[in-house]
Formats: sequence, structure tokens, C-alpha cells
Amino acid sequence: MKTLYHDGDTALHRLSPRVKLIGLAVTSVVLFWLHSPVALGIAAFASIIVFSTLKLKWSEIRRQLRPLVVTLGLVCLFTLAFNGSADALTVFLRLGSLMLLAAAVTATTGIGDFIDEITLAAMPLERLGILRAADVGLAIGLVIRFVPEVVSRYKTIREAHLARGLRPRPLTVAVPLIILTLRSADEIAAAIDARGIRRQK
Amino acid sequence: MDIRFNQAEARYDGRIVLHPLTLSLSERRVGIIGLNGSGKTTFARMINGLVSPTSGSVTVNGLDTVKDLDRSRAQTGFIFQNPQNQIILPLLKDDIALGLKAQRLPKADVESAVAAILSRFGISHLADRRSHELSGGELQLAAFASVLVGGPNILIMDEPTNQLDLKNRNLVERTIGELTEDVIVISHDLPLVMGVDRLLLFHEGRIAADGRPDEVIACYREIAA
Repeated sequence: MKTLYHDGDTALHRLSPRVKLIGLAVTSVVLFWLHSPVALGIAAFASIIVFSTLKLKWSEIRRQLRPLVVTLGLVCLFTLAFNGSADALTVFLRLGSLMLLAAAVTATTGIGDFIDEITLAAMPLERLGILRAADVGLAIGLVIRFVPEVVSRYKTIREAHLARGLRPRPLTVAVPLIILTLRSADEIAAAIDARGIRRQK
Repeated sequence: MDIRFNQAEARYDGRIVLHPLTLSLSERRVGIIGLNGSGKTTFARMINGLVSPTSGSVTVNGLDTVKDLDRSRAQTGFIFQNPQNQIILPLLKDDIALGLKAQRLPKADVESAVAAILSRFGISHLADRRSHELSGGELQLAAFASVLVGGPNILIMDEPTNQLDLKNRNLVERTIGELTEDVIVISHDLPLVMGVDRLLLFHEGRIAADGRPDEVIACYREIAA
């Protein structure tokens, strides 16, 4: 099981998870409120500075950002095709900044801390009887934990294709990937139940 | 331990995986063996309440595993075949703390309980390690710690030495031998179950033999021949 968290002792590592998450939420709102390419450019530059303070190795940066860059590229291409270059530039700067900041928060905040903060934030909803706060924290923690797991499983299936001289095709990769992920999800759900992490009452 | 099956039956998609069974377990160490698909894992999962009996009942220390699920489950820890799936969060200390946080214990109590359980298994140095960095034996000890931190008095293990090399197998066997909790161990590793107080042999969803390990293993060899 790999994780996007990186050990370290940078200013961002030392910052409280709550401050980081609130800061990220506020910054997202501000970024969507800004429209000027100059202002967004400054924001993007600031995001690069923040991310660079993590002092990650190139291999770690690649692992952390590759899926984000692919997504950003696709969104920008669609925007360019349908809305023109000005909008595509806005989307690139806005989402690029946001992705870098989110990646910086993910790289410096452990899943346990994430779960604690999200559980705390959901407590008012629990008091209203809408949901169980611990479930929200656990669900989000599991999503964060599973993303690298699914990627690693995808690589294994791809390698199994190549080892047998087969070209990996979307369907032949997706089917075993889904089956393996569901099977493992079943076992993890059973482990959560068996350990009493999610109580019945 | 006081585990009672009272005409407990389990079906899956209409197929009987465990025929109605009446049995009580009170020994400190119980082993379970049998061919693949013989019903032994279903039997163990019924004790923890992961599988509910389709008829009859199962009680653990007097608590019904359906009607009183949370309290009966608190009596039994369960170690799964693949400890990788047992460890839910990447960092070991976070994972061990997870079950305690669910009980809403104060942070200081959670931290001291985590430190105590890591120390008990001699794996304090692994607290900040990620589970994918651990060896098979370390991972199994981590699974023990994550389950026993909740304070169950019965530990059920499904193939605890599966896929371990000899060194890690010996480490896990030694650790099981030193456990102060009552133990139910399912295993294909016959030397591991030789020292139990009582051994059950499952075959085609029924108990085919029940008694001293040497007698039951002899019976198992006949079935497997």
C-alpha cells in the first residue's frame, strides 16, 4: 500500500492539518472568484513556490503530480476546443494552482490527521442526526488510502498482460481491476467490522 | 472462552456452507483444520459475527452474535488471511489508533494504548512505518497489535502463517504461543496446530473429527489422501 504522504519537517508539515484544510478551501473559493490571467498567474507562481518548499525528489514529484497533470491536460484541451484559448489559459492557471496546493496538503498531512479533522468538521451534522461523523472521516480516509492502491493494482495487471505477450486493452485491464478492487474492498469492509471501527449502534 | 453454537447453520446463495451445528468451546487454545471450502472460515466468521447464522444461534461469553453484535464482537479479535487488507491506514500507529478513536477515547489514552500494544509485540520501532514497508512477519505482528489493542479476550486467526517464510513463520508461531488471550487458529500448517488443547476437523460443512490434535490430524490425513 503506497501513500501520497511524505515524511518531512517542512513548515507545511508542522502546520496544523486544520489550518491547511481551511486554507485550501478558502484559496479554492478565491481562485474561482479571480478571472484576471495576471492575478491567476501570480497565484500559480505562488503555488509553485509553496509546492517547492516540500523539497521532494523528482521521482516523488512525478508520482504525486502525474495523474493530476494528465487530468489538467484533458480539461484544458476540452476547454480550448469548445471555449477558446483565453478560457483554456484561465482553467490551466486556476486548476493548476489548486492541484499544486492540494498535492502539497496531501503530501504533508497523514491520513490519520485527515480523518480526525474531517470527523470533527462533520460533528454538527451528527448532532442534527443526519449522519455519523466517524463514517464520513473513515470514508474519506479510505478513498485517499485506496487511490494509490488501485494505481498499483492497475500496474500489476498491465505487467501480467505484457508478461504473457498481450497488449493491455482498456476492457481486459478494467474487468480484472474492478473485480480485484471489489474483492479487496469486501475484505477491508470485513476487517473494519471485525475491529469494531464502525459500530452498529 | 465460552463459545456456543446452538443448531447454527450458514447458507450462501441458498447453498449450505455449514450444516446445523451444536458445539461449545471452552478450551484456551483451539485449532481448526480442513480442506479448502470445508466451512472452517465460515465457522470462524460466525464467532466474530461477520457471518450471521441463517438458523440457530451463536453466543460468545453469553452474548448473542446477532442480537448483541457490538458487545459480542468486542470479545473477539479476528486476524484475516491477508494482513495487508487488515491494516486500513498506511501508518501503523494511525491504523492501531483507529479502533480506539472509534470508541471516542481521549487522545492521550489512545496514544498510551498504542504505545503499550506496540511495545508488547516488540514493534515500537515500526510505529511510523508504512505497512507496505513491513516484512510478512512484521505485518502479521502489526495485525495482532491492531486487533488486540481493542482488548478482546479471544483471538481468531485465519491462516496466520500463510505465505510466510520459515523465519517469519517461526516468529508468528512464537508470538501466538506467548499470547495471554484465548486463541482459535485456522491453519493448513499442521505443526502450528499440534500444540492446541482441542482440534476440530471440518469436512463438507460438518465437523468430521473433534479431539486431541494427533488423533484429528490422523483423520485429516485419511480424508486428504
